[in-house]
Amino acid sequence: MTVELDFGAVLASWPLLLVGVAWTLGLTAVSAVLGVLTGIAFAWARSEGPVLLQTVVGAYVELIRNTPFIVQLFFIFFGLPAAGFRLSPEVASVIAMVVNLSAYATEIVRAGIEATPRGQREAAISLALSPTQTFVYVVTPPALARIWPALVSQIIIVMLGSAVCGQISVPELTFATSLIQSRNFRSFEAFIIVAAIYLVLAFTVRRLLRWAGPRFVFGR
Amino acid sequence: MYAMTSKTTRRTAVCALAACAVLIAGAAQAQNALDDITKSKTIKIAIPTDFPPYGFVGADMAPQGLDVDMAKFVAAKLNAKVELVPVTTANRIPYLQTKKVDLVISTLGKNPEREKVVDFTIAYSPFFIAVFAPKAAAVKAAEDLAGKSIAVTRGSVDDQELTKVAPATAEIRRFEDNNATISAFLAGQTQLVATSAQVASTIMQKNSSLGLEYKFLLKDSPNFIGVAKGEDALRTRVNEIVAEARKSGEIDRLCKKWLGREAGDLPI
Amino acid sequence: MVEFTLWDILRNLALAARWTVVLSLIAFLGGGVVGAALLVLRLSPSRIGRALVEGYVELFQGTPLLVQLFLAYFGIALLGLNTSAWTAATLALTLYTSAFLVEIWRGCVEAVPRGQWEAGTSLALSFSENLRYVVLPQALTIAIAPTVGFLVQVIKGTALASVIGFVELTKAGSMVTNATFRPFVVYSCVGLFYFVLCYPISLVAKNLERKLHAAHR
Repeated sequence: MTVELDFGAVLASWPLLLVGVAWTLGLTAVSAVLGVLTGIAFAWARSEGPVLLQTVVGAYVELIRNTPFIVQLFFIFFGLPAAGFRLSPEVASVIAMVVNLSAYATEIVRAGIEATPRGQREAAISLALSPTQTFVYVVTPPALARIWPALVSQIIIVMLGSAVCGQISVPELTFATSLIQSRNFRSFEAFIIVAAIYLVLAFTVRRLLRWAGPRFVFGR
Repeated sequence: MYAMTSKTTRRTAVCALAACAVLIAGAAQAQNALDDITKSKTIKIAIPTDFPPYGFVGADMAPQGLDVDMAKFVAAKLNAKVELVPVTTANRIPYLQTKKVDLVISTLGKNPEREKVVDFTIAYSPFFIAVFAPKAAAVKAAEDLAGKSIAVTRGSVDDQELTKVAPATAEIRRFEDNNATISAFLAGQTQLVATSAQVASTIMQKNSSLGLEYKFLLKDSPNFIGVAKGEDALRTRVNEIVAEARKSGEIDRLCKKWLGREAGDLPI
Repeated sequence: MVEFTLWDILRNLALAARWTVVLSLIAFLGGGVVGAALLVLRLSPSRIGRALVEGYVELFQGTPLLVQLFLAYFGIALLGLNTSAWTAATLALTLYTSAFLVEIWRGCVEAVPRGQWEAGTSLALSFSENLRYVVLPQALTIAIAPTVGFLVQVIKGTALASVIGFVELTKAGSMVTNATFRPFVVYSCVGLFYFVLCYPISLVAKNLERKLHAAHR
């Protein structure tokens, strides 16, 4: 049996792949911003919020971190309409990604906050800053700087996880690949190419975020 | 067997990757599938499990349906034990190409693209692809799909036909398998669904509250049994079995049982 | 068609959950063995070996598990080998797991103070002796908690095997959904099953970590 690989047949559909890349990056960008912001808010709730809030957020974090993303996505997309919430595949995907990322971000950010020396906080309070001001201006920036690499890794994981969103017809990269593959039956070539694209994306996004972090997120 | 003649136009596109193109001489598959089946007395047949009444699971999760019965029938005629392999619409053809199964009996329609990569036997059951929606939706023809969302299973003939006729503003949502397509439609995620008439009628029975109705026919696309390219001995044998079953009334009996109607005119 | 009671749903999911457990264990053990071999290569003085492992890790951590599963599934068959959903899922999950475990363990080895390595070398221990008698025993204690924690990721990872037709918990969920048309109930149950499998492991990992920290303080 001789197998002849034909990558050209797949690359001929490059516009579909390009749209796929755009969707994957778009989904990732939106969920990264919303997910990290939610994560910071939840981290505050978990470490400084009222007891009830701490418990609720804690349960949320555990529930999300101990169930697979694909099940969360299916629940939101297929299950929630039965309860009256109907979401488009794209919105359902963003929500699932935000929910997923926020749970991990909560724990990551919290670890960063807890590592902030007490003295800094006391100094801020002695300067008559309110607790909120202290949290936003004094505690968060160094905490983010400390955990930025971990956060970037988690964002990459969520980006790669978005491959699953194609299952519910979001035209992201893996969906594009599957579509091409189901038309020309070049499954192996298609997935080799998409794997290469993901590698490039993961590498580039990681570099970009590592670079952007100190400049735009927690810089001074 | 995996080779598809690449057109000269594609050649240029290949240039950049020509270096990557590799020839893999795999383990020699000298003997043919029919001999293997006769010798091992087992046959692997791909069937659907997400497509009632052709293939679905009961409360015991065991597959049943027209295609499942057909698979058992063909296996019995070949004196082989059947190993049912559940597949989805999108991965049926790759399963055959990579010889994970000997036959695909999984509502497989015939079209020129598929004929390039797999072989087909004669048809064994009818299949009508149509568009369905609740009564309230004013859809009578393809033009009316403009601005509406339609669920369809990726990689199916349904998808191809729909893509061909749907106006540019129609929002075609392609799902991975029939489970997802039907679930999405039933959850109200799309306004319409393009699928088999028989499948839709099963959904209607289970969900009469939906007020689902037939809108228009996309294609009369009977089901064929898929055989890997080059397995002519197996194809000839299965053709004999199907032809005989069509004559003896066995096919009609199966269609009556599962589809509630006779097979009707089936093409060669 | 057959009517599904809630009991039928739960029973079928529980039956399918067995395969989730089996697949997770195989992937975890397989990934552990491969990961350990890679770790030795990664720590060895050989530059090529290190570069290879780094590339391997980059490859498996930089592409979606879903794509890896598809590749294993359709790719290996092209080499003339017959792959079932079982072999493909096992292979892809094993490689994926090993790529993460080798990184986790490397971190643990690096957490062992540099002086320990040097002390070992000064005692004229070879690389393998040093690794075996001095560094690994210390790294092992540090490694237990994150390793157990990663088992949760493996279990969740097996959910993706549903996409290549492996009938485990998630796939059973979508099949049952289609037979019952009750996605809300079914996916809630599926989620609950995963939680029941994963949460205790998460707790154990957390406790181990706490103990370790206490011991080091």
